[in-house]
Amino acid sequence: MPDKQLTERHWSKRMLLASVLILLVIPATIMLGVFVLNDRKYYFISLLIVLYTMIPFALVFEKRKPQARELIVIAVMASIAVAGRAAFFMLPQFKPVVAIVIIAGVSLGAEAGFLVGAVAGFVSNFFFGQGPWTPWQMFCFGIIGYLAGILFHKGALGRRRLTLCLFGGLATFVIYGGIINIGSLLMFTSHFSWEALLATYASGFWFDMVHAIATVVFLFFLSRPMLEKLDRIKIKYGLIRAQD
Amino acid sequence: MKDHFSTFHPIVNFGYFAAILIFSMVFMHPVFQCIALVSAVVYSIMLKGRGAVRFNLLYMVPLLLLTAAMNPAFNHEGVTILFYLSNGNPITLESILFGAAAACMFVTIIIWFSCYNAVMTSDKFIYIFGKIWPALSLIFSMALRFVPRYLTQIRIISGAQKCIGRDVTQGNIWRRARNGIAIVSIMTTWALENAIETADSMKSRGYGLPNRSSFSIFRFDSRDMIVSAAMLGCMSVVLIGAAMGENTIRFFPSVKMIELTPFSVVVYGSYLMLCMMPVIITMVEEIKWKRIESRS
Repeated sequence: MPDKQLTERHWSKRMLLASVLILLVIPATIMLGVFVLNDRKYYFISLLIVLYTMIPFALVFEKRKPQARELIVIAVMASIAVAGRAAFFMLPQFKPVVAIVIIAGVSLGAEAGFLVGAVAGFVSNFFFGQGPWTPWQMFCFGIIGYLAGILFHKGALGRRRLTLCLFGGLATFVIYGGIINIGSLLMFTSHFSWEALLATYASGFWFDMVHAIATVVFLFFLSRPMLEKLDRIKIKYGLIRAQD
Repeated sequence: MKDHFSTFHPIVNFGYFAAILIFSMVFMHPVFQCIALVSAVVYSIMLKGRGAVRFNLLYMVPLLLLTAAMNPAFNHEGVTILFYLSNGNPITLESILFGAAAACMFVTIIIWFSCYNAVMTSDKFIYIFGKIWPALSLIFSMALRFVPRYLTQIRIISGAQKCIGRDVTQGNIWRRARNGIAIVSIMTTWALENAIETADSMKSRGYGLPNRSSFSIFRFDSRDMIVSAAMLGCMSVVLIGAAMGENTIRFFPSVKMIELTPFSVVVYGSYLMLCMMPVIITMVEEIKWKRIESRS
């Protein structure tokens, strides 16, 4: 299957690029922070690292010259997520973004899951205001979509509503909440301490909880119809390709 | 007042904000921070008028105070102990000063971002990144268009559903939730079908074929050239100053910075020039316009 080989080659290229970034560029950035900037610019350094982690996805995606249909399905899923966030904006933290991103990851593959998440985070801040938090949100949404795709591909995550809800709730609370809180702590204090981190987690607990509940609720209601619709589109227009 | 900096080439706008945001994040020296904060506030007021004043007073001042207060509560480094908290932790002068500096930095960055949002509209962003990352930029621009479109479409679907008594405002709570899901579901089907049609249309018009040019209304002319040269000049002076330690400040264990020399004044001056550049450009353009007007 030529298709399969193609994705495997991309896969290894991404791994290569990611490992170069992780092994060389990220330690170099941390060194820069420690020695040149006197180890006080946590936010700046962490922002750079978050941006690095997204570069391999962007480069690999551009490299394989994606088809118009593929681009547009990703754009549609990201826009549905953003429109959903806009529709529920009066309820703080009650956002459907993670749920849509997980559905995209399961149905369209890990790479598409990452892109839907990152694009949704970026585009939604064109409506709600860009800020130093944008890269963190992009990264968190993206990585949840990526994980959903990988886990589904490996067979650990089925299409059953219960497992999806469980995964969604946990991912929102642990991954999104966990990373975003670190980001906001570094943004606010630019001085890192464990007590402060603990205090940030404690103060963010209910926000993350509401967000996790929102994800579970949206997945419970939306996962089946959305997955069915995506399947239908994939079969009807022949969008099926080797999942990476 | 109309902002004139945003009429410059997108690369000039983007380069300016990238440089200024990085500088604001990195330089903790009080003079640099004050310059950046004041310039950001002035520019945001110039861009958005009274809304910016309200935003700065209502959100930024409390945020500044809150952030400044957070640091001494968790950070007990420093040699000048002012007093002890009831749990035995010392409050030091250095940690208060550092908290104030960090708070100032945070607020400055937020205000710069609010200016960025006004100047760097999405078309400029897509223009810059369309060359490097064409596929991703296309996704961004489509998603930006789809969002308002979907919100309108939801309204249309919900209106149609209302006619047959199936809107989210009709029936008991269980019924309403089910109607809501149905509306979202209709919207999704419509969105996906519509998207495939768009994709086919793009393909039939030759999307992805080589040697195709793309539409752009931006031109890099001599005015952009002059401003970029001025910007680069100021930036290099600031960077030389940074390399010589003019911009750094040490907070712990005791506050220490480099002595004031004529050269540091030059560095401060060029940083002020850099931060105030959009404001200066706008004022110069306004004066020019007034003069032309009065002459005729």
